[in-house]
Amino acid sequence: MRPTRSSRAILLAIVWFCLVVLSPALAAEDESGRDFFEAKIRPVLIERCYSCHSVESSKSKGGLKLDSRPGVREGGDSGPAVVPGRPDESLLLKAIEQGGDIEPMPPKGKLPEPVIADFRRWIERGAADPRDVPTRPGSTLEDRWALRPIVKPKVPVEGRDRARNPIDSFIYKRLSEKRLEPAPEADRRTLIRRLTFDLLGLPPTPEEVDAFLADPALEAYERLVDRLLASPHYGERRARRWMDLAHFAETHGHDQDRIRPNAWPYRDYLIESFNRDKPYARFVQEQVAADVLFPDDPVSVVGLGFLAAGPWDESSLRDIREDSIDRQVGYYLDRDDMVATVMSTFVSSTVHCARCHDHKFDPITQPEYYGLQAVFAGVGRADRTYDPDPAVHKLRLDLSTRRKALRDKDPALMGTLLSPEIQDEVNSWESSIRATLVRWTVLDASELKSASGTTFEKQPDLSILAGGQRPAEETYTIAASTDLAGITAVRLELIPDDRLPSRGPGRNENGNLHLTEFEVLAAPRSAPGESKSVPIARAVADHDQAGWGIAGALDKNHGTAWGIFPEVGRPHEGIFEFQDAVGHEGGTTLTFVLRQTFPVNHPIGRFRLSVTTAPKPVRLGSPGGPLAGLLDIPPDRRTVEQKRELAAIYLAETLDRKLAELPPSRVVYAAAGDFKPDGSHRPPGGPRPVFVLKRGDIRQPGAAAIPGALGCVGVKFDVSNQADEGARRAALARWLVDPGNKLTWRSIVNRAWLDHFGRGLVDTPNDFGRMGSPPSHPELLDWLASTFLEDGGSLKRLHRLIVTSATYRQSSRHDPKGASIDAENRLLWRMNRTRLDAESIRDAVLMVSGRLDVTMGGPSVRHFALGPGVHVTPTVDYSKFDWDAPGAGRRGVYRFLFRTLPDPFMDVFDAADASQLTPARNASITPLQALAMLNDPFILRQSEHFARRLEALGGDPESRVRAAFTLALGRPASHDEARDWAEYASRFGTVNFCRMLLNSSEFLFVN
Amino acid sequence: MMLGPATRRDWLWNVGGGLGGIALAQMLGQGELLAATGTDRPRADLNGGLHHRAKVRRVVQLFLNGGVSQMDTFDHKPELTKRHGEVFDPGEKVEAVTSAPGRLMKSPFEFKQHGESGRWVSSVLPNLAGCVDDMAFLMALTSRTNVHGPASYLMNSGFLTPGFPCLGAWISYGLGALGDNLPTFVVLPDPKGLPYNAKGNFSAGFLPMTHQGTIIDAGAPEPIPDLFPSPSAKFLTPEAEREGLGRLASMNRRFAARNEGDSRLESRIESYELAARMQLGAPEALAIASESEATRRLYGLEEPATADFGRRCLLARRLLERGVRFVQVWSGAGGPSNNWDNHSDIPKELPTIARSVDKPAAALLKDLKARGLLEDTLVLWSTEFGRMPFTQGATGRDHNGGTSVAWLAGAGVKAGSALGESDPWSWRAASAASTGYDLHATILHLLGIDHEKLAVRHDGIDRRLTDVHGHVIREILA
Repeated sequence: MRPTRSSRAILLAIVWFCLVVLSPALAAEDESGRDFFEAKIRPVLIERCYSCHSVESSKSKGGLKLDSRPGVREGGDSGPAVVPGRPDESLLLKAIEQGGDIEPMPPKGKLPEPVIADFRRWIERGAADPRDVPTRPGSTLEDRWALRPIVKPKVPVEGRDRARNPIDSFIYKRLSEKRLEPAPEADRRTLIRRLTFDLLGLPPTPEEVDAFLADPALEAYERLVDRLLASPHYGERRARRWMDLAHFAETHGHDQDRIRPNAWPYRDYLIESFNRDKPYARFVQEQVAADVLFPDDPVSVVGLGFLAAGPWDESSLRDIREDSIDRQVGYYLDRDDMVATVMSTFVSSTVHCARCHDHKFDPITQPEYYGLQAVFAGVGRADRTYDPDPAVHKLRLDLSTRRKALRDKDPALMGTLLSPEIQDEVNSWESSIRATLVRWTVLDASELKSASGTTFEKQPDLSILAGGQRPAEETYTIAASTDLAGITAVRLELIPDDRLPSRGPGRNENGNLHLTEFEVLAAPRSAPGESKSVPIARAVADHDQAGWGIAGALDKNHGTAWGIFPEVGRPHEGIFEFQDAVGHEGGTTLTFVLRQTFPVNHPIGRFRLSVTTAPKPVRLGSPGGPLAGLLDIPPDRRTVEQKRELAAIYLAETLDRKLAELPPSRVVYAAAGDFKPDGSHRPPGGPRPVFVLKRGDIRQPGAAAIPGALGCVGVKFDVSNQADEGARRAALARWLVDPGNKLTWRSIVNRAWLDHFGRGLVDTPNDFGRMGSPPSHPELLDWLASTFLEDGGSLKRLHRLIVTSATYRQSSRHDPKGASIDAENRLLWRMNRTRLDAESIRDAVLMVSGRLDVTMGGPSVRHFALGPGVHVTPTVDYSKFDWDAPGAGRRGVYRFLFRTLPDPFMDVFDAADASQLTPARNASITPLQALAMLNDPFILRQSEHFARRLEALGGDPESRVRAAFTLALGRPASHDEARDWAEYASRFGTVNFCRMLLNSSEFLFVN
Repeated sequence: MMLGPATRRDWLWNVGGGLGGIALAQMLGQGELLAATGTDRPRADLNGGLHHRAKVRRVVQLFLNGGVSQMDTFDHKPELTKRHGEVFDPGEKVEAVTSAPGRLMKSPFEFKQHGESGRWVSSVLPNLAGCVDDMAFLMALTSRTNVHGPASYLMNSGFLTPGFPCLGAWISYGLGALGDNLPTFVVLPDPKGLPYNAKGNFSAGFLPMTHQGTIIDAGAPEPIPDLFPSPSAKFLTPEAEREGLGRLASMNRRFAARNEGDSRLESRIESYELAARMQLGAPEALAIASESEATRRLYGLEEPATADFGRRCLLARRLLERGVRFVQVWSGAGGPSNNWDNHSDIPKELPTIARSVDKPAAALLKDLKARGLLEDTLVLWSTEFGRMPFTQGATGRDHNGGTSVAWLAGAGVKAGSALGESDPWSWRAASAASTGYDLHATILHLLGIDHEKLAVRHDGIDRRLTDVHGHVIREILA
């Protein structure tokens, strides 16, 4: 549902309040210099002048650029635009005062007088203009390596004999400058363990190790790489890394850490995208604007889960008052998260540093930051539906468009209703429904009573619309009189209505209702005092909410009720059959008591009562209201209007049926412009206004932000229609993947490098600005970026390129010379040794114990016992989980991610904290890790499984120890190791040995 | 942020910082590595401070969850009493986040002046009233928000959004532990439930995970998860453990020797020795049964109303004594009731929750003082924001970021002082306002840390606990 005009008016009123009422008072504190410029001048320049007078405007009119101080001071063809201290000599002022002499500006109307006064005052006081104050030493283009165009460098000649591909030549060049030697190639055991963990996040099986050792082929290694890249586990591994970048979790975070039951499809989307090697440009665009850019590929909207992956402040954005400043703060912070996530992940830019002022180190202005906020001003985080099958997607779109046109009485559609084709269909439909028709007589209520203050409004079709303040508990009592005798049943119709929340038919925010108890009384019309309860034998409904069947309205139990969720916004009916026929001679007064007390806040919104004398069982699905009336008129006596009306009813019914017959839509928690409202968390209905907040302060809004990206990148941000929120995101998506966007392509190849070496060529993968670290091998970075771009953005081929290099295949051996010259191994004189990350530890333990469950996809596995919390956030007890439960052995990527209650076992091994972007994991060593590996129930249980697996092999303790070493460490035990541990295992049991082996450094590290 | 692979040195500092860390590092021949680090380390000549002489070595924070009603506890407002029942018209827009503003409501509790300092305290905190001469009050502490989640983050991590390290994590990161058999930063949550933001309040954010708060659930069968194996693992015996750990150590030593030059592999060996020390140290620290009858009475352990918070305050003292740097004791779970978030009925809800902490908190102060621990310990009383001078519903009060009260006591604090004043209704700060940033800056200052220097580069910004704000509140320092 779109917000009403009035709610937008309220929003505008708030904004006006902030602008007009708050800012003068606050601006008074500091009306000089820079602040004055920021508050009064810059916003006007941006809004009214930049479109023609800036570097970005295609051709600056009159050669005048107003987007920098030199531009203003030097002016254009007519001379300096501003002479500080001399307003009357300043052409800019003359132009905006529009007093002749000079072309009046802006051309489309004069600025308001107070604004012109501000300009005069600004110039009088020296025309302070901080836009190029040289406070950023060295911030020249040359210094900003990441903004330089990517030019594919020539591959150096160094070490040509040893290089396996160009990567090595770049590495060898730097090594030889330092007189360092690369390490020799690692042995095959090391290589397969390294590669399997690296590409799949799992250890190789002993069989895989043996096969690789025995493979005589020259390209055995490359074949191994190809096999691993083709494994579905590859996508799982890459997806987990991407989830770190996106700070993905399945709860909101904050104080109301509610579960998002439909977040997981995004995780599956990632796995599939990586496994199918989706071209990177496409992958990026889908995650920002799939709905706009790829409407024919409906499943791609799942990628929008990226924008919604981070935390969401339910208190601020759903529960507190909509008219509060805190709500406005909530919107800004929510968009800030989206901006930071997109810009950190895709372009390694710290644009979020420009929230309170221009970026201190990088050429990013504060208006640009808010321009990016404006890009996301029209989306919220919510469940959005989609049809994975493009045909179904199209059909649903078509049917619902027509359904809407019908509802809106679209003249084009209404014009077709009398066509012979449609009238033929109407005729055959009419004869088919006549056969099964139950005749219902609509009751005209003579008395409407409410227990808790609801007001009633009778509609032309005799239905009743409930209104007024919605009470928590309510009981409607309705009386009506009828002449019918032999009444066998009463029907309660629930009718949707646009005036109800979520179109009703209930009055709850979600459109649902609950009928706790339904009671009927009958009395002779002449003796209303003799009313008697009418026993109801049976009830049926066209739809029962799961767990809330219509029988609940008959059972005299005030803790059960009938409901219709999630089928809200549609008509429903419940039929109550009387045990014995009812009807007094001379008329009957029927009284209906509709108790709606449990669950609270679910009264009925619009309904109608009718009765019938049809024999039992009385069938569902007979028309009521206008249709019944129309059918009563013989076809040849119907007017044109009546024919049209009947055809409209037919069409509505047909469209509704066809819609209902479609396979159910799927749901993903994602960014959405339109979604089902939840409390006051409502679709924005178009972009919300975003302002350049002075000092980031909500109480000091400046000019309206203009959707855009970063000027310093030099790629045009091309938005077709500013008012269309989708067009804004589409423009950003296109901007991101433009081949000229140096940041995007450098960023992703650096991430690929980091994945394999534990460290990027740029050590700050989310910051390619001046505060980040410069690349250790700039030429290699650019060579990789241009190769990747030329290659169509294939991540698999990029990974293959890197892992087949001699650099990657080096041993991790120590070298005193290397260590003394380059202790951090930035030059890669050896391979880095890595500690397994949390998920790899977990998955490796499961693989070794024989309990790994390789099932892919679907809802996440909750490794905890879930209980009700004090408020919204539930209680979560990880220690209560049964490690033999179904799904317990699934890979770490499928575990449920609770934002404020993370899994302590994973936590202790530096799993990503989903409250923040994690471009690279830490790999700490702590005593808490020792305790977890020794005592966590997961490890203890897997040790037992591991032991059972070994014992099933038969043999003596020593052969079990040997088997355990090949499984866990990928190598045979030495003679001494086998003997020592066998002796231990014989004394204390295999399981104690298994527990210790899982605690070995060798198990947790990869050479 | 890239902290790089953890090194043996970092690890020693993290778990055994301070003087102990230096000694241990030198013993192990790692002393020369100290010079190579870029970040500041605790200095013995500064009493363990990083940038100047530390007055405080350890901190205990009582965090009152939900927003303590300041005008019903410490902020005496005669004007509010006079205007009781009037429409609130301060001359500008009045806004409440969860309700429509009601009429002005005086405190239903009697206020009296206490101590030589003459601080006003209401009748709901009779025991703490007796300690006012030890306290320094911030009478006009403001928040930037009126919503629990962001406000709790703000008071713990200095940011409105999640993902940032909290005060305890920063202290752990900057100073490390005082001992080596207990975690550096311990959280004692209310057994009724975790606070708003749950563990987000104890997060290490982008700092290494080792700095996050270790939760000790004192009442649970397993107060520290994974400290010991579950008894259901029948295959474990002390002998199998001892023998197994010995062999594991040799295996890990051989692996370290085969892969020389990697200090992380030595750290792993060390980590098992430290884990063993924690297994010895923690149960001893948790054994409050060994405390005297008088002490138990002092903390209110014998009375149902105060037993829980009393037990946790006593535990906090034991942990501080044994080298824990920072202990956070929470009162109240997150949610709309059973805490300090008194939306519906101040006269009924506030005395109950206040009573549960009053005696134990006063006991903690007195006990620390009696044992001389207050000489280098800081005690804090804080909440996420204050409450409104007007009603919500009949007799409740809504959230108010405009002003609130916090107090400090102990080392380096000017006892019996107070700074700032709220307006006549206790709606907003009127003079000498302070912020959570200022409070954090002051705490770090007392610990010998310049809050502007304790920073870590994360995502392009040098992040600090105090963001770009914060001034040390010198007016309340001794």
